[in-house]
Amino acid sequence: MKLFVAGLSHKTAPVHLREKFAIAEGSLPKALQDLQRLGALEAMVLSTCNRVELSLTVPDSAPAHEIFDGFLKSWQGSASAFEGHLYRLESKEAIHHMFRVAASLDSMVVGEPQILGQLKAAYQIAKTEGTVGGLLETVVTRAFNVAKRVRTETGIGQMAVSVSYAAVELARRIFGSLKGQSVLIIGSGKMGELAAKHLHRSGASKILVTNRTHERAVQMAALFNGRAVDYTNFTSMLHEVDIVIASSGAQHYILNRENLQRAIALRRNRPMFLIDIAVPRNIDPAVNEIDGVFLYDVDDLEGVVNANIQERSKQAQAAEAIVLKELDQILTRIKLEEVTPTIVSLQGQLEEIRAAEVAKALRRLPGLTPEQVQGVEALTKSIINKIAHGPISELRRNAGLPDGDQAVELIRKVFHLQS
Amino acid sequence: MGDSGILWLRVAAGLYSLGLLHAILTVLRRRESLFRVALTAFSLGAVFQLVAIVEMGAAQGRLPVNDIFETMSFLAWVVTVVFLAIHYRYNAASLSVFIFPLVSVMTLVGALRDPVSPWSNPVVRSSALAVHVVASLLGYAALLFTATASVVYLMQERQLKRKNIPAIFRALPPLGFLDDMISKSLGVGFLFITVGLVLGIIWAFVETGTKWIGNGSVVIAFVTWAVYLALVFFRVSAGWRGRKTAVLSIIALICCLVTWIAHAQLQRRLLP
Repeated sequence: MKLFVAGLSHKTAPVHLREKFAIAEGSLPKALQDLQRLGALEAMVLSTCNRVELSLTVPDSAPAHEIFDGFLKSWQGSASAFEGHLYRLESKEAIHHMFRVAASLDSMVVGEPQILGQLKAAYQIAKTEGTVGGLLETVVTRAFNVAKRVRTETGIGQMAVSVSYAAVELARRIFGSLKGQSVLIIGSGKMGELAAKHLHRSGASKILVTNRTHERAVQMAALFNGRAVDYTNFTSMLHEVDIVIASSGAQHYILNRENLQRAIALRRNRPMFLIDIAVPRNIDPAVNEIDGVFLYDVDDLEGVVNANIQERSKQAQAAEAIVLKELDQILTRIKLEEVTPTIVSLQGQLEEIRAAEVAKALRRLPGLTPEQVQGVEALTKSIINKIAHGPISELRRNAGLPDGDQAVELIRKVFHLQS
Repeated sequence: MGDSGILWLRVAAGLYSLGLLHAILTVLRRRESLFRVALTAFSLGAVFQLVAIVEMGAAQGRLPVNDIFETMSFLAWVVTVVFLAIHYRYNAASLSVFIFPLVSVMTLVGALRDPVSPWSNPVVRSSALAVHVVASLLGYAALLFTATASVVYLMQERQLKRKNIPAIFRALPPLGFLDDMISKSLGVGFLFITVGLVLGIIWAFVETGTKWIGNGSVVIAFVTWAVYLALVFFRVSAGWRGRKTAVLSIIALICCLVTWIAHAQLQRRLLP
């Protein structure tokens, strides 16, 4: 049995091809059944916005490519539109690929966490349809563990790689938990709204919104179950908020050193996090010099994101090493599983010979006491175990080696084991 | 010193100890829950202390500021009166975290001039000393936590200000967590070190009469407690964080170290 993975991803195909090949969730059961009908022993389909790939297991002698091409033909009419954009991987390469996908090393944003969830969902559908249950299941479930190991050992997914998430990450670095923190949004810029959304989702419960046009403040406040604050008066309540997001269209600084000094004194030096995503900037950069005030503008946040991306690529190298190690382990395990029937058959054959010879001998020696019979049984068992030890060890040792198949075949021949 | 004079002084010290309790609770709970009760007890304490001073003065025929005990008591009373005056004029509740413990300990020292007979039970003697030592050491340990957390806070704060967070600093806990840890360890530490100090004073008073008061090591212990008190005060009332807390907690830690070294063999030096 061999594993085969084929499909296209953001690395091999543009979006118009990916969306053409995409398989809707509702159609997945039919796709899985079709693959089995075409000759696949097992099948799983992963269809996301960045990749569509089919994972199959087929008998060693079966043409996996033809099954895939047949599927393409029946679902897309023709395979020609996708030629040059498809990848087709077998055995070791296929397992390596599946591990990398699960560990988010093949993702557009390396380390993003969604892919693992999508893979789990794909597996669940295949499980429900009964199209996994052998080698493919072994590989996929191992891939989940590989992803978990990569995540915990490298911390690859911990660093924010978008400006709005970087704001949340920094807020967490300052306040720890964001539960119960209050946020003031000044202006109605889209980026500001997005950052506020992330903060709100992360636990910031009290959201205040102020805008030169009060109605817009009311509208935005409604999005977060928050409260609109009078624009002419918002500086007087600055000390009540922990996080300020400024994204107004004002052409001058609307928060200065004096405002923040007063607020921080009223807060008895409890820290404040100011996010200035407006261009031109809304907050005087000098406020960052005040103890307890942390001001980040768009460039600062971009800087954090870039540093995080660099860090992620460093972590990705460590993750690749983990994946390779896991790949070696699973290959050895698969090979061992492959030689198990040979081992069982060898043991069975030797036991059969032993039992027959012992029975023959006992017929010739009718006067043996039960203790003597037991002694003969033990002696003969010990002999065949010793004989079997050498070939079994060789089978196990050769299982993981590149030319192991030849040794396995030789042992089968020597002992006349049926293939 | 007149007998009833010392009695009133001890009553005042007892009332002031409620102020000390208020300060400890404020640090631990981070809100002033006992202030009204403590203020009333404090005002009453000031009246009793005035009575004591007047009685002692009448008995001696002069202002009772003749030795360190009387001077300490008198100074404590003056500080109390000034605090109460300031409070009723400007509402200086936040100062109480500093003033209440200070006056409380000063008055306690002032009330311990007349020697009493030493404890006859050896278990009581050694237990009091053991609790004093353990409480003080726990106080020092808590301060070590405070100082460590303050330094880490400072490092984290600097990285956040510089907007360039190297990978190594990502493992540091958030400022909020560190701040919480500083507050808690400071509160617990202050409780232990105060218990240690009060027990130490009482033990030294019972065991050695007045001999302890002039000992340099004891003075160092008072200075350490005062630095700890200052740290608590600036933290609670002014919300000191970052560099200031780090510096002051390190100074307090050094004081603790000096006190610890100075107290080696102290028992042998005090007792005959």
